[in-house]
Amino acid sequence: MTLNQALAIINSGKDRGGENKLHYLVCGFEPLHLKTLFWAHLFERLPKGNVEVHNGVYGDLPGNLAMAAESPAIAAAVVVEWSDIDSRLGLRSSGGWLEEVKPDILSTAQQRYSHIETALLNVARRMPAVIVPPSLPLLPIGNTVGAQASVMELELEQQLASFLLRISRVPGLRIVQRSRIEQIPVADRLDAKMELLAGFPYTVPFADVLAGSLADVLYQAAPKKGLITDLDDTLWSGVVGEVGTERVSWDQEHHTQTNGLYQQMLGHLASCGVLLAACSKNEISTVESALAREDLFLKADSIFPVCANWEPKSQSVAEILRTWNIGADAVVFVDDSSMELDEVKRVFPRITCRQFPGKDATKVWQLLCELRDLFGKPLLMEEDRLRQASIRASTRIHEVGESAGFPEFLRSLNGTITLDWRLDASEKRPLELINKTNQFNLNGLRISEGEWQRFLEDQNTELAVVSYQDKFGPLGKIAVVLGTKTNGIVKVSHWVMSCRAFSRRLEYHILNRLFRRADTEEIQFAFQATDRNEPLQKFFRDAGIRQDPEGTYRLSRTAFLAQREALPHKELNITK
Amino acid sequence: MNNIPERVSRCFANVFPDLREEEIQRASTTSLATWDSLAHVTLLSAIAEEFALPFELEDFEELVSYPLIVDHLENKARHA
Repeated sequence: MTLNQALAIINSGKDRGGENKLHYLVCGFEPLHLKTLFWAHLFERLPKGNVEVHNGVYGDLPGNLAMAAESPAIAAAVVVEWSDIDSRLGLRSSGGWLEEVKPDILSTAQQRYSHIETALLNVARRMPAVIVPPSLPLLPIGNTVGAQASVMELELEQQLASFLLRISRVPGLRIVQRSRIEQIPVADRLDAKMELLAGFPYTVPFADVLAGSLADVLYQAAPKKGLITDLDDTLWSGVVGEVGTERVSWDQEHHTQTNGLYQQMLGHLASCGVLLAACSKNEISTVESALAREDLFLKADSIFPVCANWEPKSQSVAEILRTWNIGADAVVFVDDSSMELDEVKRVFPRITCRQFPGKDATKVWQLLCELRDLFGKPLLMEEDRLRQASIRASTRIHEVGESAGFPEFLRSLNGTITLDWRLDASEKRPLELINKTNQFNLNGLRISEGEWQRFLEDQNTELAVVSYQDKFGPLGKIAVVLGTKTNGIVKVSHWVMSCRAFSRRLEYHILNRLFRRADTEEIQFAFQATDRNEPLQKFFRDAGIRQDPEGTYRLSRTAFLAQREALPHKELNITK
Repeated sequence: MNNIPERVSRCFANVFPDLREEEIQRASTTSLATWDSLAHVTLLSAIAEEFALPFELEDFEELVSYPLIVDHLENKARHA
């Protein structure tokens, strides 16, 4: 993006109106073009509402961090430069570059990192923050030639690495990948003239890379949830139905390591909670025998379900999506055949299709990097580990439940539903649920991390984070209900439940507890129909929640108790 | 360098979106309150980008109005 393009985007964006999304750009230099470019990148990523970017004062990074932490901003972007670590490392300082000041610079830097870390922790308590580590070249004051690293440079790098490692473990703080900004060579980053003239150190192209990276890390696309893979000439090399179980390969000896790399990537994704399924034109017995090979790089039981038949692959994909109970837009389909990809894409236009590039190692590497981007998320949670097992349990519940009488069956699960009413800003799972759940979702409205933290600071907020477990195992945190209580009436603004928890009547437990905790006679719902929330709409019909003549969706305690069936699970409440 | 006044006007409109075309052509640091030091650096950077032509430090002191900027660029074009 050029500076003129950025200015034009901001000028047209200012007419949008709507809710104001304030961001804080924190740096010690004059933000100038970085602010303009960051602002424009935010306008591009946030299609609704107005966007504003505030910044602090020149030369005081810790002070600006403190101002950000006190501000009503919904997110912060923090750009650290060497001059923030010690002003003598900047072009505008006249502190001297003598050899004898170097130990003092290193000592000061240590303390400065500590101050910045403390200030960042305060920011993280109130909003998400993305941090760019120093990216400009260090001053040419090494005693070595430029091609040789000096001890001082290495010590500064070591201090920086240690600082970044510490803050990367803080929930809410995210570090921009240095390789991302290294697409601009170091020599093309510094604008020495602009630094001396205006205190702004970057060339415009580099400022654009920084601004885009900040916005990318702050506003990441929703991660995909599942990957459906072909088997022959994709998960392994060879056609198992022709060459046999022992002759398909993924190893160096057969020059088929690219399939082995792909297997390892899938194994990694599964260990991070990504759902894996197989879709193959084969006999199921042949496939099961190949998947049972012990030298496979991923656990065979991490692939569920395995669909092997001779029908069009779109039929198998449909079956897998039903089993997972997720939409095609949350899924990636990988196959070596462009014909199969095309057939699936025509039936499921929203699925992401990628062709397995076979023995082309460069393209396989690119595919693996793309899979990282498609499935990556800022933070792994306990629920990611539980997902695969709970989907198997749900399938089992449906199989058994359909044959058994359903209410009796639910009671036989020995289920426990836990409602946690504490407003805990360090708990990131509820926000993740609100922002990725589509089917049981009151209105489809998403919340940024900063907006979420403002909710938690509001004393009228009512929040329940709901967990569930039964004899099939824990599902983890699977539902969130968020609202406010004013004048004795609870108004629910967000209500979501994971599709893994459907068919257990947990939604009735949640309403039951909400009525009791809020001691209210009526609950109002900010319901909006979306093209995805039919499961919630069905629940509203079943529970008798309807729109009144004024357009409000209401449920009275009397009406709820009149039609509520016996609740099948044990309830636990956590309030402190 | 073609269409210099028109392209300079477009840069002015990007930096000062509230100005009408005739106001842009009369604009100077003394007549326009919003033309402060930050706007000045932004404007000259936007013009430098538009014409792929870097300004020297002294240019930032001298190019303080629309006519001066257009003259400066037309002069550069004549001697290119």
